[in-house]
Amino acid sequence: MISIIQVYGVMLLESMGNTLVLCVLSLLVAMVIGLIIALFNVGKNRILNLIGTIFVDAVRGVPLIVLAYFVYFGVPQAVKMMGITGFRLSALSAGIVALSMNCGAYMAEIIRAGIESVDKGQMEASRSLGLSYGKSMRLVVIPQAIRTMIPSIINQFIITLKDTSILSVIGFPELVNTGKNVAGNTFMNLQVWAIVGIMYMVVIVTLSKVAKRVERRLKRGQQ
Amino acid sequence: MDNSKTKISVTNLKKNFGKLEVLKDISIDISEGEVVVLLGPSGSGKSTFLRCLNQLETVTGGTIMVDGNDVTDKHADLNKIRENIGMVFQHFNLFPHMTVLKNITLAPVELKKMSKEEARKKGMELLDRVGLADKADIFPNQLSGGQKQRVAIARALAMNPDIMLFDEPTSALDPEMVGEVLEVMKELAREGMTMAVVTHEIGFAREVAHRIIFMDGGYIVEQGTPEEILKNPKEERTINFLNKVL
Repeated sequence: MISIIQVYGVMLLESMGNTLVLCVLSLLVAMVIGLIIALFNVGKNRILNLIGTIFVDAVRGVPLIVLAYFVYFGVPQAVKMMGITGFRLSALSAGIVALSMNCGAYMAEIIRAGIESVDKGQMEASRSLGLSYGKSMRLVVIPQAIRTMIPSIINQFIITLKDTSILSVIGFPELVNTGKNVAGNTFMNLQVWAIVGIMYMVVIVTLSKVAKRVERRLKRGQQ
Repeated sequence: MDNSKTKISVTNLKKNFGKLEVLKDISIDISEGEVVVLLGPSGSGKSTFLRCLNQLETVTGGTIMVDGNDVTDKHADLNKIRENIGMVFQHFNLFPHMTVLKNITLAPVELKKMSKEEARKKGMELLDRVGLADKADIFPNQLSGGQKQRVAIARALAMNPDIMLFDEPTSALDPEMVGEVLEVMKELAREGMTMAVVTHEIGFAREVAHRIIFMDGGYIVEQGTPEEILKNPKEERTINFLNKVL
């Protein structure tokens, strides 16, 4: 085990870094997607409702691994069929697209539920003062919704962090992919996967501890 | 009141929720400075009627003119119209994530009606007026029900509206807190505010209303001065209702 860490430690840490980069970028995009789709879904516009519903159903109805294959292999082929040559998608970009769509769909549901948990009277009071729908959402409803959403959002962050491992299938050098290579080279499956597992665990447990803190602070702020 | 300016003019107002007809045919004019109290059993459409006036409910038919603007028109600038119509709700609907003062200054500042400083000054004046100047910097959940409703009234007044709608403002309050809220409303009425009030407080209606409108089943059954309606109701349904609440 020591020898693995000595030889492959840096490589594994680097791929942990890649995992985190992929995760953080995807989460940022997912937040934006989630907010937009959630607003589509809570509004009264039927067309936007439909777009939101189709997006959420489609993405949630497809396993991430299929989505990843589709984006990485399928989309460039589609572009080629349209007669545009030279389009290439890096594993990182494809990974971010697939992961942020996936996470975005779940995030949309979390944000929608958060917005809907805010009493209707809040929006009515705000509108009755002459504030527009957008301002009422931004200043009155969403700040209240965020408090109830925080635990679920953090939970989703953790799921997404773990889901990055699925992107090993498109060859992105994240932690699992590197782990596979190291195990293949050394034949020390037991040790390699134990190390990889612990690395995930350290990051995730740290994250959830931070999350608990944030949650507590938010609760206190409300009083 | 007859010869003063008409502030709100409602013609053949209809409102359905799906198949349920809540308002069947309502026509009524409210003059400037008039205090109108809407009475009626629950489910009679009083609150819905009130909520149609500032378009929290879209109407199914008919027109509502406020200051000569048709608020039911698809192209009406509702935000602008609502700036002029304050509303007070049964459940206060204060913004829990903002201090009392911020609740009051939010709309005037966001809508660029006042600078932050002006809004603050006006907010403190309003709080003083409702007797809560010392509560400016605390959050709504530290207030009693009566205090919350007084803040809600101050918030509605911050935009300098010339119409105020009250939707059962005292129904969610403990009995001992009803008086302080009614007191603020009475003062507003004395100052000449145009008011439409849905309430079950008959005493308030008797003392303050210029006109009582009795509604039932989506229609206006009877209307008149408090004297006429409370002492000499003519319609069977009004008599029945008053027998129950008086």
